[in-house]
Amino acid sequence: MKKNRLEVKCVGIVLGVAFAVGLMLAGSAWAQESVAVRAMLVKTVPDDPTAAGWSGAIPATFPLSPQVHWPARILEVTAQNVTARGLSDGKQVAIMLEYDDPTEDPDDAVAVEFMVGDKRAHFAHGQPMAQMEGGPVNIWFWKNKDAKAIDMNARGFGTLKVQDQQDLKGKGVYQNGKWKVVFSRAVATGDANDTQFKPGEFINIAFAVWDGKKDPASGDLKEKGSQKAVSSWWYFRVEPQPDYSSYFYALLAIGLAAGFEFVVIRKLRKGPSA
Amino acid sequence: MKGGIHLKPALLMVGLYLFLKFGMPLFTAPLPASLIMLYLMLTFSGIMIFMTLSGTSMESFLGPIFRFISGDGQESTMKTARLAVLALFPLLVGWQTYTSTASSTVPPAENRTVHPAPPGEFAVMSNPVPNTPENVMTGKGLYAAYCSPCHGQFDGKGPASKGFNPPPANFKDPTTIAMLQESYLFWRIKKGGVGLSVEGMPWKSAMPRWEFELKDEQIWKIILGEYDGAGQKPRTWE
Repeated sequence: MKKNRLEVKCVGIVLGVAFAVGLMLAGSAWAQESVAVRAMLVKTVPDDPTAAGWSGAIPATFPLSPQVHWPARILEVTAQNVTARGLSDGKQVAIMLEYDDPTEDPDDAVAVEFMVGDKRAHFAHGQPMAQMEGGPVNIWFWKNKDAKAIDMNARGFGTLKVQDQQDLKGKGVYQNGKWKVVFSRAVATGDANDTQFKPGEFINIAFAVWDGKKDPASGDLKEKGSQKAVSSWWYFRVEPQPDYSSYFYALLAIGLAAGFEFVVIRKLRKGPSA
Repeated sequence: MKGGIHLKPALLMVGLYLFLKFGMPLFTAPLPASLIMLYLMLTFSGIMIFMTLSGTSMESFLGPIFRFISGDGQESTMKTARLAVLALFPLLVGWQTYTSTASSTVPPAENRTVHPAPPGEFAVMSNPVPNTPENVMTGKGLYAAYCSPCHGQFDGKGPASKGFNPPPANFKDPTTIAMLQESYLFWRIKKGGVGLSVEGMPWKSAMPRWEFELKDEQIWKIILGEYDGAGQKPRTWE
């Protein structure tokens, strides 16, 4: 009878521990959400939006808002979300943006923004901040009618400057009401005006989308200049080469824990109080 | 009751974990894993001290555990339970080692101070606009034109809000304008996101710098309209 009760208790403890472990694991899984674009490692980096290689990239979707920080602002935008994917071979990196747009227009455009240097920059074009000195931003811009990507810098609205050294490639494809635009560049360019990617390191990234639809009556573009859809700062990184050392450490830890158990059991069986 | 000598501490530990992990976030911000671990360790130490106060209580608490681990004279069900525990422990240690050494695929955490201290000149201000029905109404009109696209019906859920991180403030939430003075709102509206101090992460806020587009008097009126519309009262010092 007594033994049975002990059994029940021990099984209860085992179940309790298993439940607690399960909760911890579930808790860490729930914490995952789409906050970062990770450029996954591949053999060759595609510079075409329709390339099969993109199936290996992990999509990350970010909400967009109208740019309200600075006039001329806008209060409604066409693109509500942008989905970003990244691929890299360690030397080249490509970022693909995908979003819904009901019409293909010559002035449709997209941009990707990064901070440059060691100072933090405001997400709206690196606007000057009152209580800290901000850094510039590096902007990659692609417009449908230009059919090319432009490498630019800014430090506040109205300071946009096209770089002397152009390191970017860009290509867009419009299909079934969706734009897919790929920017590609070397991971490291040696240009101080460019964001340099260090594999494994998260940096900030932001997105902008312009619907270049023309009003048939006035000829005005629906979105242009500071009137655009924007995202906040999110994260981007080029994935590092795989590192298997944690598997080794885990195996070592398992061995040590098993050894510890062995010693304890032996001690308990031999010891006077066992 | 003798049967509860292990069950009660085990239930206490599991119950405490569930409360800290899932109960506390209902009242406050989620606790970091390290703090939860600290509380669990303290509770565990307390249990151990309590159970080992005398030789008898120590034997009745630790004796069955030691006999369970050593496996002396166990029957088949107990043997299975013992093997399961002995196998689970190294696997848990291995898993913990893997997760703490594996390179993270999650961006580093950012600690943003939601309401950093305003510059000195703003801390001493008081609203020069009298709180009259006309001024409140004017303020609400200005709010509708300039603030509601992002801050919505005082709930932070305006049509232009969804892309912004941090999201626009929800004025109906008791932890926003209800715990701030009017001078604080004046500073935040006038200088915008870029006016925040470093700990407020000014580089992330989309709040416009309204001093370029609104007069001070209009901002004070917006503040009156904002408190009225959100059903809140500004904090005072008395």
